[in-house]
Amino acid sequence: MMPKLTRWWPHAVFIFAAFGTPVMLSGNRYFAFIAGITLISVLWSTGMNLLYGYTGLMPMMFGGIAGVSAYSTIGLVAVGWSFWPAMLVGSLGASFIGVILGLPSLRLRGFYFTLCSLVIQTVITLGFVYFVNLTNGDTGISQIPLPGLPGGGRLSGLAYDLVLAALAVIGVILLTLIVNSPLGRRLVAIREDDGLAETLGINVTRQKLFAFFIGSMFASIGGALYAPYVGFISPRSFDVLMSLNIWLMVAFGGRGTIWGPVIGAVLLAPIPFLLQDYYTIKDVVYGLLIIGVIVLLPAGIAGGFKRAPRAAKPAALKPEPAR
Amino acid sequence: MSNSTIIIALSTITTGIMLGTIFSLVAVGVTIVYGSIWMPNAANGQFFLLAALFAWSASVSWGLHPAVAALLVIGISVPFSWLLEILLVRRFYDVPNRNISYFVLTLGITQVLTGIFSVTYGVWSDQFQLPPIVKGVTFLGPFPIANNRLAAMLIAALLLAALFALLRYHRYGRALRAVFQNREAAALRGVDVRAIYRMSFILGNGVIFAGGVLFAFAYAVDLTVAWTMSVTAFAIMIIGGPGSVVGALIVGMVFGFTQAIVSIFASPTIAAFSYLGAMLVILLFRPSGLFAR
Repeated sequence: MMPKLTRWWPHAVFIFAAFGTPVMLSGNRYFAFIAGITLISVLWSTGMNLLYGYTGLMPMMFGGIAGVSAYSTIGLVAVGWSFWPAMLVGSLGASFIGVILGLPSLRLRGFYFTLCSLVIQTVITLGFVYFVNLTNGDTGISQIPLPGLPGGGRLSGLAYDLVLAALAVIGVILLTLIVNSPLGRRLVAIREDDGLAETLGINVTRQKLFAFFIGSMFASIGGALYAPYVGFISPRSFDVLMSLNIWLMVAFGGRGTIWGPVIGAVLLAPIPFLLQDYYTIKDVVYGLLIIGVIVLLPAGIAGGFKRAPRAAKPAALKPEPAR
Repeated sequence: MSNSTIIIALSTITTGIMLGTIFSLVAVGVTIVYGSIWMPNAANGQFFLLAALFAWSASVSWGLHPAVAALLVIGISVPFSWLLEILLVRRFYDVPNRNISYFVLTLGITQVLTGIFSVTYGVWSDQFQLPPIVKGVTFLGPFPIANNRLAAMLIAALLLAALFALLRYHRYGRALRAVFQNREAAALRGVDVRAIYRMSFILGNGVIFAGGVLFAFAYAVDLTVAWTMSVTAFAIMIIGGPGSVVGALIVGMVFGFTQAIVSIFASPTIAAFSYLGAMLVILLFRPSGLFAR
């Protein structure tokens, strides 16, 4: 079922903004770069939103999957592949790895799954540091070449920004289509109660793994394009804090809404660049925002769930406040 | 046995005991809080580092005697935890599924403290070690060991024994274990559950702080120890069984010896891989841990 055409006007505004902003900022490379990073963050937070907002899983290995894709794409380019097939193979491979790493979600719920994914993220980061001959260890890989174009030349500047804008737009539209399809409703049913969803005849295993595949796809395409765009990656680029920051964009904007995470990414991704000389303060800012979101804004600025999660639980689960 | 074998063996054993007692202390601190409040404290490594760095400032920068500095830091952990409890922790006591909220909350605290450390202590120095409480070296056969490290080991072991006695025999410990097992029933029997929550948060953090200070007496500390400690303490808690103090003690000692042995033959990264692998296996196949209460 396609939603009515009138419901697509926010998408039109978003498409206009996504393509317009890099064009408007093309005079100043630094601001255009911030816009590009923001667009990659929109793609990432949209993928995280599918998992966290709609399927109710909170993976902390999102950054790790993006990193696997980035490292494998660059590795393939370094052995002589051209960029686009390398990106295809790298991101598809990373998405399948994402599905495999999502398997624990079939057994573990809530905190235990998140902890498990945090462990996986730590293992991935340690792997990036440990396999020095593949990843150059803690030093990282610098001077990553820009993607080549079929007709010769290299993708750079405004053209690169527009590719990122196109991907962010495709990501948001894809999420909208998924959410409005029966698949999206099955995912929401799993989020609300996966045991009940199973008794209703929903194949929970297949839906969860599909959500992981799509979510990891967003992560890995973003990762593959992030590496040449910034020109430098290290294990620190894809560590647990990066996963946490993407989670923050979703939670801050409002999980389980299409536009909340987009707004979250647009508001939060530029912060480290706008701090400039005080760049190192960004961890403190993001950390305080995480605490603020958890304590003050559990539903995010876009309102989040229509049913407040706390009120939705049966009263019997509440422990009696002791005096 | 040649002298060198004895030296290697003794060095492994002492390192194992030292690391094991520290790991156990921190893991007990984490598991007490998880068992009662249901709060997985991901910031435990940062608290551990905070204690070590603050003791370093107090003894090196302000010139306090290291023993005084250590007691000061452990004392300060009480108002510090109390403030955190009032500002943040208390709000979630009655929320269902609060463990995930707490987990994210403490990850946020981790990120704040990471940022603060990297712009302050990270700029000032790479390695932080406290001046020794006791000077001199003791010889165990051919193997020399600094008296200071022996003292830290002894204090850590005594602290663990005291903690164990407190939880087993004292009135507060019994109330805490009652809340561990069934908070409704404990409340019906007249236990003030909220007071127990607050006490266990303060006690747990105090133990973590003590672990950090003792570690800084025995070894030089750098800023990366925080995340390693967080992950290790979680691994110990999960493998030992969340909320199980005995499990945390035993698995903590096992981890200490594993790290000591593995470090001889391979890099510490391999040790980290093996903990994380063990933790994944336990999470997937026996989520209640080996020493489930």
